[in-house]
Amino acid sequence: MQISESQIINGISSKDRKSFAKLLSICESDPVAANRIISRLQRKDAHVVGITGSPGVGKSSIINAILSKSSNRRVGVIAVDPSSPFSGGALLGDRIRMQSHATDQNVFIRSFASRGALGGLSPSIFEVCDAFETFDMDMVLIETVGVGQSDTEVANIADTVVLLLSPDGGDEIQMMKAGIMEIADIFVVNKSDNPASISLKTKLEGIIKFGGKDIPVILANSITGDGVEDLIKALDSRFERIKADGTFATKRKKRVFFHAQSFLRRKIDTIMQSIHSEETDIEKIEKELMKKLCSK
Amino acid sequence: MIKVLISKPGLDGHDRGAKVIARALRDAGMEVIYTGIRQTPEQIVQTAIDEDVDILGVSILSGAHMKLVPKILELLKEKGSKIPVFVGGIIPEDDAIELKKLGVIEVYGPGTPTSEIIDKIKGYFENANI
Repeated sequence: MQISESQIINGISSKDRKSFAKLLSICESDPVAANRIISRLQRKDAHVVGITGSPGVGKSSIINAILSKSSNRRVGVIAVDPSSPFSGGALLGDRIRMQSHATDQNVFIRSFASRGALGGLSPSIFEVCDAFETFDMDMVLIETVGVGQSDTEVANIADTVVLLLSPDGGDEIQMMKAGIMEIADIFVVNKSDNPASISLKTKLEGIIKFGGKDIPVILANSITGDGVEDLIKALDSRFERIKADGTFATKRKKRVFFHAQSFLRRKIDTIMQSIHSEETDIEKIEKELMKKLCSK
Repeated sequence: MIKVLISKPGLDGHDRGAKVIARALRDAGMEVIYTGIRQTPEQIVQTAIDEDVDILGVSILSGAHMKLVPKILELLKEKGSKIPVFVGGIIPEDDAIELKKLGVIEVYGPGTPTSEIIDKIKGYFENANI
């Protein structure tokens, strides 16, 4: 069904979910058109929060718990799951844990496939995140793909990164490694019903102190909701603080640069897909890429 | 890229079929969202619209298909959505005919090869030129 850009703009201005859903599809299929539409819409600075951690640690469930305890605000959820490197297909199952909010008018959940993007996000993530800010959101939660130790891209887009850990994730050496442990603004030790979670919290606090930083560690249980109010409080007080001390403004400025980087990478990726994959001469591939890049 | 929502309305928890279809469509290169079990028609329709899917699959083995499927079709219409719907499960032949009259594009019973469903969906979008 075709729907024009001005129809989408009018729809979103009057909070029509269908128009907003279409804009998100355009973000995936045509970033140039998406950026054009977004630039014509009113935007509100939402608190963009990245929720990251390894597969099965409880990211979707903690988001569900946050949604259940924030009925008085508008929250958007961007849930990314991996695409198959073989078929290109994907099974997007993050929503299952959040379906009790499917008809909640203050909540908008959208699933995205990673479509080959690295770092635990999707190629259209910057456009999508901007789009959510045109839909009058107070908070936007980005759930990454279940990530490994080096998937730090989410820190380029989120104002705040929440790293979820569970007591079965390895010893403290894992926590001393570079990469994902360094991008967390808030740590959540999930599955607090497991007694080992308390010792994980203690060890983590020791490591953070050793690094000379002051990062909150919250013990939570995403199924029972224990500790989730503490997490929301920590998120809100951080948002107030970063807005006051200039961190927010700096992050947003940098986000524009990362958006450009992502936009251009996506352009190059699209061209690379059109080049014959059996070509073995790297110089030839480069020439063809440059030719196609410059012809646009 | 074809985007599909696989849904399970009502109280039945027999989701093997829904999971097999979701997985088969994934392997056929589609992006498949799965709602999980025990969904209301309202949840399913709102999810289909918010996710802007191209097609909606409804899996029912409880026998409540003549209540749930028409309700889903009605809600879609109410919201001005033209998302096509297909149904899978234990559906008696007479009911299948009735559901198709109401606008369901296809009804699949037990033993349907997944390739048949994949071909039907792909064919539907080739013809529709999406």
